[in-house]
Amino acid sequence: MLALDISGLEMRFPGLDTPVLSLPRLHLPAGRQLAVTGASGSGKSTLVNAITGLETATSGSVSWGETNISALPTGRRDAFRATHIGLVMQDFHLFSGLSAFENVMLPARLSRRLTPAARERALHLLETTGIARPHQNIETLSRGEMQRVAVARALLSKPGVIVADEPTASLDRRTGEDVSELIVRLARQEGATLVVVTHDLALMERLDRRIALDGGRIVEDSAEVRAA
Amino acid sequence: MIRFILADLNRFKAGAFAVVILIALSVALSVTVTLQERAVRLGSARAAEKFDLLVGAAGSETQLALSAEFLQPSPLPLMSGRVLAKLSVDPRVDFAAPVGFGDYADGHPVVGTTSKLIAALSPALAQGAAFASLGDAVIGADVPKRIGAEIKPMHGGAEEGGHTHTEIVYTVTGRMAPTGTAWDRAILVPIRAVWQLHGMSSYDAHDHGDETHGSVEPEGHEHKAHVSVDAAIDEHFDVETPGIPAVLVKPKTIADAYRLRQEYRGEATLAVFPAEVLTRLYATLGDARGLLLAIAIGTQIIVIAAVLLVTIMHVSARQRQIGALRAFGAPRRAVVAIVWGELFLLFLAGFAAGLVIGYGTAHLISATLTATIAIRMPVEFAREDLSLAFWFVGLAVLVSILPALSTLRLSPARALRS
Repeated sequence: MLALDISGLEMRFPGLDTPVLSLPRLHLPAGRQLAVTGASGSGKSTLVNAITGLETATSGSVSWGETNISALPTGRRDAFRATHIGLVMQDFHLFSGLSAFENVMLPARLSRRLTPAARERALHLLETTGIARPHQNIETLSRGEMQRVAVARALLSKPGVIVADEPTASLDRRTGEDVSELIVRLARQEGATLVVVTHDLALMERLDRRIALDGGRIVEDSAEVRAA
Repeated sequence: MIRFILADLNRFKAGAFAVVILIALSVALSVTVTLQERAVRLGSARAAEKFDLLVGAAGSETQLALSAEFLQPSPLPLMSGRVLAKLSVDPRVDFAAPVGFGDYADGHPVVGTTSKLIAALSPALAQGAAFASLGDAVIGADVPKRIGAEIKPMHGGAEEGGHTHTEIVYTVTGRMAPTGTAWDRAILVPIRAVWQLHGMSSYDAHDHGDETHGSVEPEGHEHKAHVSVDAAIDEHFDVETPGIPAVLVKPKTIADAYRLRQEYRGEATLAVFPAEVLTRLYATLGDARGLLLAIAIGTQIIVIAAVLLVTIMHVSARQRQIGALRAFGAPRRAVVAIVWGELFLLFLAGFAAGLVIGYGTAHLISATLTATIAIRMPVEFAREDLSLAFWFVGLAVLVSILPALSTLRLSPARALRS
């Protein structure tokens, strides 16, 4: 369980005068759940990339707990992400030719963090997420099942944070609701801080706090509304 | 890791297969050139090592060596029979055997010689006995005839429009053990029978000095010979001995060999070490091999360039996958290892397939050559091939590491957006 602290964060792309993302300050206490909304181009994806360390901040800092990830070199940042941040993406990014179980295990296997306990946990997570045949080839699964495998993969390393980028956008409503419920429930069970970028109102309602982005700035924050 | 690489290759089956085939064919080309050149060299060297010295009439050394060692049909000038008589009694000579060519039976060369040559080629006969009378014949291991079979010699090959000798019918009395040389296809008959058949009871330098005894016969030459097939063979040669194209000589010592060669190198005769002539031929062969190998290596460079192009395109096509691997926590070294491993695996598979194809092709060529000239061409790998293999593997490592390293520069966020 890690708290998010952003201060003075700016993300700029070469050739653009205005920053794509500009967050003077954002604090999310450990174990809380945050929904991020906004139109396309509002800076949501850039925010995901910044807080997961997939992209380096132009200036400012992003900290999870005590770790300022924007100050880490690429290799250490990758390692931090691998151990502390579980990622769920709109397009699943599962690897065909492998089974559901192998997909869940892949990141651990590639970073040589493979232990018998991890195997146990992978099978347990697949059971929890409702994948009946973990050794079935990933291509034969339905889209809803694929996203649930992706959720199991995100949770394997017992991350302190789960970041989901439009997890329900490529699913139909019913399946989307199941996946939303699953993510929120598991994040709570595992005690992970949750950040979800979404347009899905049903999913937003399940989360404690919501911020809206526009032009790379926070234009609305439910926490401030409540405080005010 | 391996599991992932295999699953990934399985997704790009067709492309991976094409790359493997491309590499395999270019490797096969070099392997075949190397193996085949070695096979020809070893095969002919083994064929030549039976005799140390060849003595013939003055003329081309290469032709003398090729005709006497490989029984290639080519007209050789005759030399005086006195040479044979002299060599037969020379104390430095272990044995001296005349060879007389020109006749064929069913495409097999009929070679007139003595029982000493048979004893040298095949110390123990595989079947039957050596010849005892003029009508007897001993066949090489690859001549498809039975003991007791009749052989009707033809002057010159049938395809050259030769005529059949009606004066004699040889009877097969023995078969030699396989020697791995051109002699396996030969039919050996007593030299005196050949002389009588061609009306050469004694050598006369004035009449026959310019005559070539081979597949070419001067026009108007008539055989008026009569051969008595039951007459016992006579392997004692005196000054009256008719002309012969070549004498195979086994000197007693190496020093004798050099002395003899020196002595018989003159105006009328020529003495050569077949091995020496072959060495000179190999030098030419070696040049040809160098050229072929250069071409083969050239093709390999083109193939490697093509493979490089394919992989660079492939890497950019799978940016998303690589980005995802990074995003989900695969360290950069793992991603590099995957891309590198996949390529290297393709290289290795292509290399292995190329070795097999090249080896098979060389065997096929050798088998075809053996069928026509009866010289066994051993297709074998040698120690020096190892360095070629190391070069290839080293190059494969280098070439495959380039696209792999290019993934290092890839930003996972950008890769995922693409």
